[in-house]
Amino acid sequence: MIQQVTTTESDKAQDAPIAPPDHLVGKSCRRIDGKEKVTGTALYGADLFPNSAELFASVVRSQHAHANITAIDTTKALEVAGVLGVYTHADVGGTNIHGLIRRDHPALASKRVRYLGDAIAVVVAKTERAAKLGRDRVEVSYEPLPVIATMEQAIADGACKLYPEGNVMGDKRIRKGDVELALANSHVVVTDTFFTQTVDHAFLDIEAGTGHWDGQVLTLYVAGQWVHEERRLIALALGLPVEQIRIIQPVTGGAFGGREDISIQIYLGLAALKHQGKTIALRYTRSESMRARHKRHALKIESTFGAKADGTLTAARIVVHSDEGAYASTGIAVMRKAASHATGPYRVPNVEVDVYGVHTNNNPTGAMRGFGACQMAIAYEGMMDRIARALNMDREAFRRKNLIQSGDTVTTGQHVDPVSIGHCLSKAIAKFKERPYPGNDKLPDYMRRGWGMSAICFGLGYGDGFPDCSRARVEMNDDGTATVYTGGVEVGQGLLNTMMQIAGEDLGLPMEHMRIVAADTELTDESGSSSATRQTYFTGNAVRMAASELREQVLDIAGIKLKVHPHEITLQQGWAFETAKPDNRVSIQQICTEGLTRGYSLKATALFKPRTITEVPQTGQSPRAFITYLFGAHVSQVLVNMETGEVKVERHIAAHDVGKAVNPQSVEGQIVGGVAQGLGMALMEEVTYKDGRIMNPGLTDYIIPTIKDLPPVEAIIVEHDDPGGPFGAHGVGEPPLIGAVPAILSAIYDATGKAPCELPMNPERTWRLINDVRENDPLSKVF
Amino acid sequence: MFHQPMTFKQALELRSELGADATVINGGTDVVVAMNHGAIKPTCFLDLSGINAIRKIDRDNGHLILGAGVTFAQLGKLHVRTLKEASLSVGGPAIRNMGTIGGNIATASPAGDGCVALLALGADVQLSSKDRGQRWIPLVDYFIDYRKTALADDELIQAVRIPYNPRSRWYKIGKRGAVNISLVCCAVSQNEDKKTQLAFGCVGPIPRTAPKASALLNGETLSAELIDDVANLVAQEVSPIDDQRGSAAYRRAMCSTLTKRLLTQLMEDNPKGDADA
Ligand SMILES: Cc1cc2nc3c(=O)[nH]c(=O)nc-3n(C[C@H](O)[C@H](O)[C@H](O)COP(=O)(O)OP(=O)(O)OC[C@H]3O[C@@H](n4cnc5c(N)ncnc54)[C@H](O)[C@@H]3O)c2cc1C
Repeated sequence: MIQQVTTTESDKAQDAPIAPPDHLVGKSCRRIDGKEKVTGTALYGADLFPNSAELFASVVRSQHAHANITAIDTTKALEVAGVLGVYTHADVGGTNIHGLIRRDHPALASKRVRYLGDAIAVVVAKTERAAKLGRDRVEVSYEPLPVIATMEQAIADGACKLYPEGNVMGDKRIRKGDVELALANSHVVVTDTFFTQTVDHAFLDIEAGTGHWDGQVLTLYVAGQWVHEERRLIALALGLPVEQIRIIQPVTGGAFGGREDISIQIYLGLAALKHQGKTIALRYTRSESMRARHKRHALKIESTFGAKADGTLTAARIVVHSDEGAYASTGIAVMRKAASHATGPYRVPNVEVDVYGVHTNNNPTGAMRGFGACQMAIAYEGMMDRIARALNMDREAFRRKNLIQSGDTVTTGQHVDPVSIGHCLSKAIAKFKERPYPGNDKLPDYMRRGWGMSAICFGLGYGDGFPDCSRARVEMNDDGTATVYTGGVEVGQGLLNTMMQIAGEDLGLPMEHMRIVAADTELTDESGSSSATRQTYFTGNAVRMAASELREQVLDIAGIKLKVHPHEITLQQGWAFETAKPDNRVSIQQICTEGLTRGYSLKATALFKPRTITEVPQTGQSPRAFITYLFGAHVSQVLVNMETGEVKVERHIAAHDVGKAVNPQSVEGQIVGGVAQGLGMALMEEVTYKDGRIMNPGLTDYIIPTIKDLPPVEAIIVEHDDPGGPFGAHGVGEPPLIGAVPAILSAIYDATGKAPCELPMNPERTWRLINDVRENDPLSKVF
Repeated sequence: MFHQPMTFKQALELRSELGADATVINGGTDVVVAMNHGAIKPTCFLDLSGINAIRKIDRDNGHLILGAGVTFAQLGKLHVRTLKEASLSVGGPAIRNMGTIGGNIATASPAGDGCVALLALGADVQLSSKDRGQRWIPLVDYFIDYRKTALADDELIQAVRIPYNPRSRWYKIGKRGAVNISLVCCAVSQNEDKKTQLAFGCVGPIPRTAPKASALLNGETLSAELIDDVANLVAQEVSPIDDQRGSAAYRRAMCSTLTKRLLTQLMEDNPKGDADA
């Protein structure tokens, strides 16, 4: 039946002229996941609950930020009606440990807890309510240990050690030239210390999912950022072979790095293994989500920069202390990224950077959009404004004098080409100047306006020799459509469209003929994580390679059919035709049928695995620390109430070189979202701790921006082909946030004449800055 | 049990019968949040949202009578500036459509924006019970201590009364542009006899006035010097604390700052001291 319809339609279509070429790369094709998200039919993790859950799990967490566990008594919990089981470390079959770089985080703590989010037991019950009642009845006895609440306490003499090796988790350094001498010979030397805050990802879609064990396969519907790696970690922890675990990513509402660490997967897996044949559901509340999850690192950045009288930068000495919290997470990589981005897109001949990661009893800190590069941009851009002022130079002219250019090296010694930072800055400033700057003339005396800028760079991918690769498969289906298979996860950024558009471009297929299967460990191959701004570049390349290979097969078959050399054929809108004689044509659908009978596979797979080079530990130098560099520049205009400290961002312009915008609307979405998140970090977001306890574990007091806080973001897409990227594209996920924060701070500096050094600049901090009020400041992190 | 009376009389009867066992609910924007957080576990509700009689705004002899069930969205359309702006600063549109002034007063949060505006307006609140009838008390006497009020277990808030045509101003400092809990808020109003009231939120356990500072203003024509004196006195009068939203030092300073700013606006906008147009 279907067959018939198809034939009739294609018969009719045989006579119709072929539609003009429709280049999918560069086109804002409508998001394929858009309609179901907007209409509310998309199934997120928590939506799986009512449909499929048979049993419910709940997690027992530590009552202490730091303690030894002396006993775990589950008797009373097991007495709760409906509770079917309470499982502790003793029930875990594998290593019971996870951790993305170091395996140091017990899935269920046995001897010791190091933060209040540490999990101790999993309760399984017939209802969610019973599971939670059971959770509250598990009796854990503790022997409290001193709580290391701050980095200062952690590195003090005689501090209680979180680990036998001590509280310093590791260090990263850069050594280049002779900083001592260069500073001594500088015309100005400017020093300041920056304190960035702990930030939560605050994604909408709180951790939730289901697990099921049928005796053969453990199936987990849980949103992560790298399903294949999560599978490996779960397998190790639970003692199950990797191939017996299947992870399927439900529709996911944001990640921002917050789904990189293992969250509910191991608890669900353990519960499922104990209750064969039952679908177990587990979801956090917002407060549990915030208490359990890792955070963005809070950094203390001590910066000293020198410059000549003409504005040429001479040297930088930077010491960073980074609050790693209780476990390593991706901390080592964040520290390295901080070190390698310490001087940003500036030419600084002499550099010393020391980054120390310090364990505390706060939440572990790990990946979040910007990943160390974000905090450093706040410091180096802050320093650029301060030095320009010290030299009495124009802020833009001073930056331009020192920005790297194509072929220059960044601080790790890597040559970068092309470098488009100067161009991005010009674009942003030109856009700003399109409208007259209103200045302070018409303002009451207690209001001040200011504007500022930022110029930032970002090394894409994991870098530093860490294995980083993507696989992809592209297949023609017998109805003439093509399916892309990728392990990459869509977390809201637009990965699905990007991959379909890249493959469709090569295959000459319209978007309606493209299909995709993503993030299912059974059906797709490893594509690395949706992080490090890497998917467009890495998986995009793998998809491009597979699609190109498939294109060759299609052209071969078309050549046979059309009796011309494959090189003389054009693929367009689902047709193959002789370029010189378009009437000589065959539909892709026919090619598929033909091809399969001729023994063509009409499938292609590809592996994209470029190499980066591990840094020399003593100097931090590497000829290729990152696969490629991204650039962006922002301009922000703010209005400050000098009496109350309230800051309103009036305009925000962001120019980002994305190589090539595969889907310009998605790129703009990333830029606007990054600015919104950056505005939150600059002005309002802050996790506050008291002795390791999060004081604002909810969106009542963890303040994120609303639409009323955001000006219409003016996004500028800059395109300089990246020679290594698919169709010249690289990525855009993280840089917009990185650029936004320092531009807003720069504008506050301009408005108030005072240089911000502590985040976030909420009304009180801004008021303290303006009025130099230091005392009685319970919010201050300064030490 | 979920009781939903359609008249205020029925509500009072139920209230008298059920007493503290029934959780009174109107817009639910405080009650439901408290339930979700597990702070309260109600077993029985007395829902006032079906009673049209308390959703009205009436004029009476130079006063406005606001029914306890009047929403912030309704108040946002009033001309009484401090109450209008305070109401429009509450939550977002959804909260303003549901949240009521009676609920705000009953919750008695020190951050209750509606309460602060009403205090500056010198509002009276009408508390009613089946057996003891109605009583009007000054709102300032209604707030006793942190979340402790003059409302008895058999009483409901029926209405609030404010002067019809005062000159007034409002300012709220929070951390963002909407859905924004006050860090400090300040309301001032001045009636035709130049009786001036200052009120503040988030500077103590209850929404409060500043009687000493307000007394300095009474009957006086505003001047820059007078405003400075009042602003200084305010800083001494209020007793904010440090909490994780902000420090006592900042809040104290802001009370002065906002007093000065709002009184200066009153003075500059209308030097003769006439009522708002
Ligand atoms: C997202 C959000 C944002 C908010 N923002 C603000 C804000 O900016 N400013 C602000 O001030 N508040 C804010 N609130 C709090 C809340 O909206 C207000 O306090 C509102 O006025 C409560 O009114 P309601 O009708 O919803 O009260 P309900 O939740 O129905 O009741 C609140 C309390 O009042 C009692 N009650 C209600 N009516 C009566 C009555 N007639 N007699 C006796 N007792 C009664 C109830 O028993 C309960 O104790 C916010 C709440 C939320 C959820």
